[in-house]
This record gives sequence, structure tokens and C-alpha cells, in this order.
Amino acid sequence: MAEQPVVSVKDVTKTYGKRGEKQYQALKGITFDVQPGEFVGIMGASGSGKTTLLNILSTLDRPTSGSVAINGQDVTALRGNQLSDFRAKRVGFIFQDFNLLENLTARENIALPMALQNVKSAQQQTAVTQIAQKLGIDAVLDHYPTELSGGQKQRVAAARALVQQPAILFGDEPTGALDSQSARELLNTMAQLNDQQHVSILLVTHDPFSASYAKRILFIKDGQIGQELVHGDKTQEQFYQEILTTLGTFQQ
Amino acid sequence: MLRKLALGGIRSRFRDYAVLFSGLVIGSAVFYMFLSLATNKAFLTANTMVGMTSFIFGFGEVLLVIITTVYIVYANSFLMSMRQRDYAMFMMLGAKSRKIAQLIFIETVTVGVLAAVVGIALGMGLTGVAGHVLMAQLHAPATHFSVVWPPAIMWTFVFFLLMFVVGALINAHNLLKTPLLDLLHAATTPNRLKTKKWVLGLQAVLAVVLLAIGYWAMSQLAKLVLAGIAIALVTIVLGSYFLFNALLVWLIGLLKKNKRFAAKGLHTFTLSQLSFRIRDYTRILAVVSILFALALGAITVGLGFEHDIPDLASKQNAYDTVVVDPNAATMAKARQLTGVKAQINYHLKQDAKHVYFNASELDRDPVLVVQFARGPVKFTKLTAANFAQKSGDYDSQLGQFLPAKAQGKQLAVLTASQFAALTSPVQTAHTWRLKDFTANYDQLSALNKAIVAQYGKESTAVYGQKFTYYDMINGAFSGMAFMGFFLGIAFLAMLASTLMFKILSGASYDQSRYLMLQKIGVRPGLLRKSVRQEIGALFFFPGLLGVIHVLFGLKMFVGLLQEPYGHLLLPFGLFIVLYAVYYLLTVWLYERIVIQKDIATD
Ligand SMILES: Nc1ncnc2c1ncn2[C@@H]1O[C@H](COP(=O)(O)OP(=O)(O)OP(=O)(O)O)[C@@H](O)[C@H]1O
Ligand SMILES: [Mg+2]
Repeated sequence: MAEQPVVSVKDVTKTYGKRGEKQYQALKGITFDVQPGEFVGIMGASGSGKTTLLNILSTLDRPTSGSVAINGQDVTALRGNQLSDFRAKRVGFIFQDFNLLENLTARENIALPMALQNVKSAQQQTAVTQIAQKLGIDAVLDHYPTELSGGQKQRVAAARALVQQPAILFGDEPTGALDSQSARELLNTMAQLNDQQHVSILLVTHDPFSASYAKRILFIKDGQIGQELVHGDKTQEQFYQEILTTLGTFQQ
Repeated sequence: MLRKLALGGIRSRFRDYAVLFSGLVIGSAVFYMFLSLATNKAFLTANTMVGMTSFIFGFGEVLLVIITTVYIVYANSFLMSMRQRDYAMFMMLGAKSRKIAQLIFIETVTVGVLAAVVGIALGMGLTGVAGHVLMAQLHAPATHFSVVWPPAIMWTFVFFLLMFVVGALINAHNLLKTPLLDLLHAATTPNRLKTKKWVLGLQAVLAVVLLAIGYWAMSQLAKLVLAGIAIALVTIVLGSYFLFNALLVWLIGLLKKNKRFAAKGLHTFTLSQLSFRIRDYTRILAVVSILFALALGAITVGLGFEHDIPDLASKQNAYDTVVVDPNAATMAKARQLTGVKAQINYHLKQDAKHVYFNASELDRDPVLVVQFARGPVKFTKLTAANFAQKSGDYDSQLGQFLPAKAQGKQLAVLTASQFAALTSPVQTAHTWRLKDFTANYDQLSALNKAIVAQYGKESTAVYGQKFTYYDMINGAFSGMAFMGFFLGIAFLAMLASTLMFKILSGASYDQSRYLMLQKIGVRPGLLRKSVRQEIGALFFFPGLLGVIHVLFGLKMFVGLLQEPYGHLLLPFGLFIVLYAVYYLLTVWLYERIVIQKDIATD
């Protein structure tokens, strides 16, 4: 029997706008699974519904219909504190615009999710040091976000997302605000985490190069999954070319 | 086009403008309230002890101008912080600097003028309500009190217009000199706390020394007079500022270093919020502590005067009223007195030179007189045995036992048998002692009219009455009490809105921070707790320092009030309750701005 999927999405729809007002259906029935240890990319044109989908998966928004389960737990049923605790422990996010607290140092930012769970201070420090070493930011731990480069900020955000060892890491265009060098560093780090630590990752992106790091790519068009590409045994270069071609035909 | 942009800017940030605007409106309303008293010379001379008035108000005026200026400077920088990104954007899109300067000018001056106009209207309303409520409460006639007072309208308007024109010019100048890039990233500049240890230490020492000098100056007010006020003003303002700078920075550092505390929940975040703001806040916290002290001090002193009125009156006479041979009309009024503690009658007889008490009656119910002394009221009991020896000292209090047309006669005592033997008509002195003099104010006032009607205005019967004293003292003191309350309320409104406004003006910057915390899974309850703690600290420390200022400041009133420290519970309690209400209101408003309800939490 296959392992239980980390993320299981069934017939999710999302309609914006209240009844009686102007309505817009952003998602029109989406179904897919992410298996443990998978690195899945989601691509699609601007306005196709990627962010909407990711917000629903990461419990920041609710679907109009359909169900979302993470590690087998139906997240649409969560309320209040349960919901907060779920976010704190089970899922990690990295957003396009860093989302670090600029009044805390990198170290304090990373430790925050543990402090919220009342983890002992000494334990917090070891965990921070470990993850910082893995992500190559141990030298800048005592800097404030304004004293970090874009790439460093994004890695701090990743460290904060991963420090609680969540079931899955969500990224919404995490490389969107980075130059190509920093983007490459972050993607390598993510791929490495996926390979070595078996962290499951769901990455939303515009950028074919970023997407080529994934093992599997789902293409969304007009709120529906239109096509799927699998990395398989192809080299990254070949996979990248395949993505480009797919995008070319898919967007028409 | 330009006007459209300016108005569009206001519309898009309506909530921030609402906070800014309501703060300014309260500022100008209070300014008007104060000026409506301060510039009304007829009111001041009619209601206060003349010597004090001019310097209390001179002092108040200087303070209010300073405080309002600080307030407007804050308002202006807040206005700029809201708008500078938009301005930078316009500039990037190619707007000319002259146009931008014009835009800033229009916006700033419009906000200022509108705030002044609305504030003056509100100020009139507040003046009217506060004035009439207080007058009714204090039985103070407050002659020449005027709600619509043209000089105050004019000065408030001129002051606000001037401040905003200057502010607009400064804003425009600053904006055009700041590089574009800095404007676009204004909200995210780092702000490390880099104050050196020895600087903090020096500030702490300076703070204590300055405060000590200020407190000393207030206690020596009788000798130093105006110089004392000036010294106290300067040293206490500076001392408060240094104290906040040194103390809070040190305290936050200490808490942050305590790993077990800091590493728990949102503590690090709350402390960082505070420490990032502290430099920005020390000035306002110092101002708030001073305002707090002024408001609380004014109310305490006002209440002290109000308290002194019945206190002083009860030192004039042991009986709330005494009437000899009241006629039917007088007696009818006397029967309406409520809460009678003791009603005793004495029979009197006269001969050519004396008016006599009956010894057996005196021994049963000695006549009470009040001792002349500071402190709580003490009675002496006059009995048959000590009457001859002691009564001489209390002529003024015993005068009201003299019947009509017996003025100039001596009071004396006869034994029961002698009294019975004396052949002259018996007259009866009726005495009343009440549980609560002030609660009977209206009845006593009516009774007094009846006594005047029966005996004539110039009789000892009327002069000796406690009510007559009460009215005399009331006339002198209620004006002071009125001003105390009035200024107290005005300062409180100003203080609380200064603090509230300052805190709320930071809320728009915090919004994204709190949203982020919610996204990474901080429970809303915990966020609320963090908000309560952060704002609580900002309310608590200036409040505490303010209370200390007042406790020392009351020394100034030792000569004027019977017991400046005697009745602190009521004003302090009342004030703290009002202050707490402001705190809760600020927390509520702040939470509404920063904590998002709809990120899928329902
Ligand atoms: N809060 C909202 N209210 C109404 N419509 C919305 C809302 N958020 C998104 N939409 C609409 O839903 C559709 C999908 O938006 P979404 O943000 O998911 O796109 P996206 O795929 O992330 O695009 P991009 O690549 O540009 O980020 C868009 O047409 C958008 O206009
Ligand atoms: Mg998007």
C-alpha cells in the first residue's frame, strides 16, 4: 500500500465575491496529491489561480467547495487556535516578499515558531544553529533583515519555515524578488533539503528555470490543471527545455 | 489634477487620516477650552484669588503651547510618513518638485485648518458641558463664564494655522531634500539600539538629580515663587525625558538578556517592538507623564478645595444650624432637614446683662464648640462646671444662642433651682447636627432665607450660622475647584489622545508584521496579549512617573489647602479609572487595525 500523501487536494473550487455581487471563479475543481518527499512545481500564466490555490493549501484561505488534507488531516475543518497551531507546526511557507519581521534579528526570526511552542531556550538555539548551517546563513544570524541581502533574507525565511520540521514546505514565487545567482542558491538549497532530508516541497512559480528543479510539474490554466510533466531520468537541462516547449503550446 | 491626487490620497488612507484628524481635533478643542478661561480676564478675577491666577494661567499657557506644538510636530511627521511614498512615486513618474511642494502645502494646511475649525466647535461643546456640570456640582456661580469666547476662537485658529503653515513648509523642504530611494524605503530603515552603557548611566544620574531639584523647587515654592515654577518646569521635563531614555532602554535590555523569559511565546517580539520604538517614544512618554501629573494634580487640588469648603465650615461651628425661638415659617423649613444626627433644645432666660442656660440641661447635653486647630475637627464640651471658664474663648460660635434683641448680653449658667426661680419668659434654642451638611444644601439654603426673614440680615443669628460661613468659603474656593476640574479634564483629554494618537499612528506600520505573525501560526489570543502588554507598558510607565510628580507637586499647596495629602483616594481612583478606559480603547482600536479577522480563522 502506498504511503499516505502529504497533501491531498480534491475537487477544490474557489469563487471570489459574495453572492449577489460580481463573482469570479478562480479555481474550477482541482484534484492532485503530493507524496512524502516529493518536490512538486505549479506553473501557470498570471491570473491562472496559483496563489489562490497555495493560500488554500496553506490554510490562509478557505475553498468554496472541495477538501484539502495535509498528512491526512482535513484542514478546512480547523478553526481558531487549532488553525494557528496547525500553521505553526505542520506547514512552512516562504513568500515572494520575504515576510521577515524587520524588528527581530535573523536568529530571533528563525527561533520565533519554537518560542511560540514554548520550546526551551537552549533547544531553540541548537535548532537555529543547525538549520542556519544547513542553509549557509550562520554568519549573519545576528543581523537585522535590513542588513541582509535578498538571497540571505529568503534563506532566513526558509530556515524559519523549516525549523519546526513541517510536513510540507510551501513556496509562492520565493525566487521572484531575487537575482539569478541568489535564486540559484536558494533553489539548490531547496533541492538539497528535498534530496537529503526528504522535505516535501510545493513550489509555485512563473519561472521555467525554477520549475526545472521540481520532480513533477502541474500546469494550471483558468483555474484547472491542464497538464502534468514528470522529471524522470531527464537531466535538468532537458527538463528545462521540455518545460519551455510545454509552456509555449500550453499558453495558446 | 493635483487636487484630485491630493484628495485621492486622503480617501485611500481614510482610517489613518481619521486617527490623525481626531487627534488634532481633540488637541485644538482642548486648546480652545483652556484659552476660553485663560483669556477671559473678567471670569478669572471674579472667581479666583487674584495673586495665584495670573501665574497659574501663565504657566498653563506656556505648557499648553509647548505640548500642542509637540503634538502638531508629531501630527505633521505622521502625515508625511503616510504620504511620502506616494509623493516619491509621483516624483518618479516625473512630477515637478514645485508641484509636489504645492501638493504638500495644500494637504497639510487643509488638514490643519479643518482640525482647528472642527476642534473649536467641539471645544465650545466641551466647555459648555464641562462648565455647566461643574457649576451645578460645586454650587459655583462662575460669573462671566462664557462658552463662545471670540478671543479664544481667534487665538486657537491663528495658532493652528501658523503651526501648520510652518509645518507644511518644513515638510516640503525635507521631502525635496531627501533622496528618492530613501523615501521609497522609509518604513524599513534599521534602528539598532546602540546607546553606550556610560551614556545610559549618565542619563540615569542626570534624571535623578534633575527630578530631585524639581521636586525640591516645588516644596520651596513659598520662597522661590515664580522662579520655583520655572525651575520645576525645566528640570522635571528634562528629568522625565532622561529617566525614560535610560530606564526603559535598560529595562528592555535586561529582559531581553534573560533568555528564559525572552525565549517564551511572543516575548522577544513584544520587547523588540518596544525597543525599536523607544527612542521615538521617550519624548512623548515624558510629555505624557507631565500631562498626567498636571491633569491628576489639577483634579486632586480641585477636589482638595472642594473638600476644604465643608471642612472649613465645620471648623467654624459644631452645629449645622441653631435657631432661637423660630417662627412657624422657619420651623417648617427646619423640619425638612434630612439625616439629623442630633436635635437638642436648650431653654434660655434673660436678665438685664445675661442670657442663662439651665445647668441641668447643660450637664445632660453639653454645648459643643469646635477647637481652633489644624487637622481633624475636635470638639470641646461646655458643661455647667467649665462654662464660665471656657465660654469666653468661643464667643463667635456661641453668638447664635443669643435671642433676638439680646445682643451684647453675656452667656452664663444658672443652677436648675436658680433658673426656675428667675422670672422672665423662657426662650428655646433649637440645635441641629446633621450627618451630611452638603447633602442638605438646598434645605439649609431655604432655612437660611427663613432665618434672615425672621431676624434680619445683620443679626448674630445669621452671622453665626454654619451655612453663612459655608457660602462665604464656597465663594472663595469653588472658583479654584472649578478651574482645577476643568483643567484636569482638559489635560486628561489631551494626554490620552496624545498617547493614543502616537500609538495608533504606528499601527499602520505594524499591520504587515502582525499579519505575518498570523500567517506563521501565532494564535490570535497570543497576538492580543502581546498588543496589551506593549501598549500597557507605554501607558503604565508615564502614569507611574506622573503619580510620583503629583505626590511631590502637592507640596506646593501645603499653605493653600487644609490637607493636600488628605483626600487622595477619590481623585487618584477616578483618574486611574479614566486612564484605564483610555488604555482599553487604545488597545481595542489598535487590535482592530493590526489583527486581521479574515485569514480563514472566522
Ligand atoms: N481577493 C480576490 N478577490 C477577487 N478576485 C481575486 C482575489 N484574489 C485573486 N482574484 C482573482 O483570481 C484570479 C487568480 O488569482 P491568483 O492570485 O491566484 O493568480 P496567480 O496565478 O497567482 O497570478 P500571478 O502569477 O500573477 O501571481 C485572478 O483573476 C484574480 O483577479
Ligand atoms: Mg500569484
